[in-house]
Amino acid sequence: MSVPTNGCRMNRRVERRGAQPERSQQERQMPRLPGGFSLPPFGLHQWLALVIVCIALWAVGLLWLGLQASSAWTQSWQKDVRFHVYLELSGKKQTDNERLEALAGKLQAVSGVAAVRVVPQQESRDWLNDWLGGSGEITGEMADELLPSLPGTLEVRPATDGGEFIYQDVADAAAAFGASVNRGEAHLVQVQRLMSQLQSLLWFGTLVMGLAMVIIISNTLRMILLARADEVQLMRLLGADEWFVHLPFLLEGGLLGALAGLLAWLLLWPLLWVVGDWLIQLNVDVSVLILLLPLLLGGALAGCLGALLATMRMASENTVAL
Amino acid sequence: MFADAYMTRAMRLVTVRRMIEMRRLMLRYPTGKTALSGMTMNIEKGCFAYLTGESGAGKSSLLRCLYGGVRPSSGKLTVQGVDLRKVGSRQLRRLRRDIGIIFQDHRLLFSRTVFENVALPLRVQGWKPDRLVARAEKVLEFVGLKDRLWSFPEALSGGEQQRVAIARAMSSKPSLILADEPTGNLDIDTARHVMDYLMELNRQGSTVVMATHDLHLLETHPGDIFRLHAGALTEELHYVRADERMPHE
Repeated sequence: MSVPTNGCRMNRRVERRGAQPERSQQERQMPRLPGGFSLPPFGLHQWLALVIVCIALWAVGLLWLGLQASSAWTQSWQKDVRFHVYLELSGKKQTDNERLEALAGKLQAVSGVAAVRVVPQQESRDWLNDWLGGSGEITGEMADELLPSLPGTLEVRPATDGGEFIYQDVADAAAAFGASVNRGEAHLVQVQRLMSQLQSLLWFGTLVMGLAMVIIISNTLRMILLARADEVQLMRLLGADEWFVHLPFLLEGGLLGALAGLLAWLLLWPLLWVVGDWLIQLNVDVSVLILLLPLLLGGALAGCLGALLATMRMASENTVAL
Repeated sequence: MFADAYMTRAMRLVTVRRMIEMRRLMLRYPTGKTALSGMTMNIEKGCFAYLTGESGAGKSSLLRCLYGGVRPSSGKLTVQGVDLRKVGSRQLRRLRRDIGIIFQDHRLLFSRTVFENVALPLRVQGWKPDRLVARAEKVLEFVGLKDRLWSFPEALSGGEQQRVAIARAMSSKPSLILADEPTGNLDIDTARHVMDYLMELNRQGSTVVMATHDLHLLETHPGDIFRLHAGALTEELHYVRADERMPHE
């Protein structure tokens, strides 16, 4: 094939190099996508990003699992937290009722108490009956011995934002009437309050980890972008729209994040297996399955966000000269 | 009255014929270095223009201005009627799509195949994927590399890589091709081949502006010469083809 030049001094014949150099046997082969495009490069930077994001997501998953376990552990307490105050009765019905009402009023006035209920005598008997094995109405000698000694009972339900010293305040108010507080129940309330605070901390930790993860992914993807800065710059020199420049990196970030999420989810299983016996002892049921979708989607979202941050930073750096 | 109308029409015709127009163009980098100082020149459509001069004369800086890589500090610069001092990003993108750029270091994407490199300008312009392979094959056939469509640039020689860069620059049929020392890293024989391809592109209608300090090429591949020195135009030689020459010349 001849290619004429526009110069008239000579009309050169272009010598095509018919004998192309032998194609190297070592020439790189990459799987091709439809349309002739090859997969984006997956080198050291991508592996590093995958590992880092996977660790970050795994940590978040771990926090979520902890949150789930603690929720399951304290679930029964959270539903109906209450403790009881017992008052020795004199046997005179009217006087006892007046004392109980007065004590109820006093307890109700304690800061952090949501409600106080005087437990009817029949309800106490039923409870006692159940406690004894549910063999039926207490009768005979047992009734003669137990029923007169049943104390008057008040049920105290603390407010959700009840103060730290509610137990002590209730105990002081009860003591003024010669009544006593069920210490075991009160301690459980305090533990529940502690768990609730711990859960808030876990939520906060998860949020912080999530944000840290976005920054980690952003920086990691930025590392990838720096390695491919030529590609970005070339696309811009060819007149590419910003979305055209961003889209491949957003997709790559999203895919990388999702893949890291999947890996992180898989890595949660060995941990669950290790602490499985302990969880059974605590009667806590933890589901890792429900974490699959959040980790996948969360990873993809964080990946896209990170890539967006990285490309935006790169965009601002590249357009300084313009 | 008639004269005014005639002059306006004549000016319009002149503007239409001009690919690049610059008046007292200045470029000062943020570092304080003055790369171009008051350059005035016009490049007509369809011509093959050489920018020559020593290193640091301002050839590459001028090319950067022409594709909007840097914004001139002062003066006037229009490319295809677009004022590059006032151009917005959208208009600049549109302009760049009609410019093919060839770099000395060819700037191929080594993680992409030859096809992907050549098809990149077409993808930027929104060509349908089913048309890309055919077009890439066609331009690669022009530079004699059709059989290397699926190779990676690393498997090609320096000359072949530069030919791929030429194929990429011509793939979208740009009306302006800017070449920054495209033969700088090549041996004489390969450089001449590259020049043949550029000349052929020019013959097909593209305006070619090429920065070079290799004056030997000008003898075998003539064109308009703009000699630069210290950021200013010192000499301008217009090449007249034999078929355009007057009989007495």
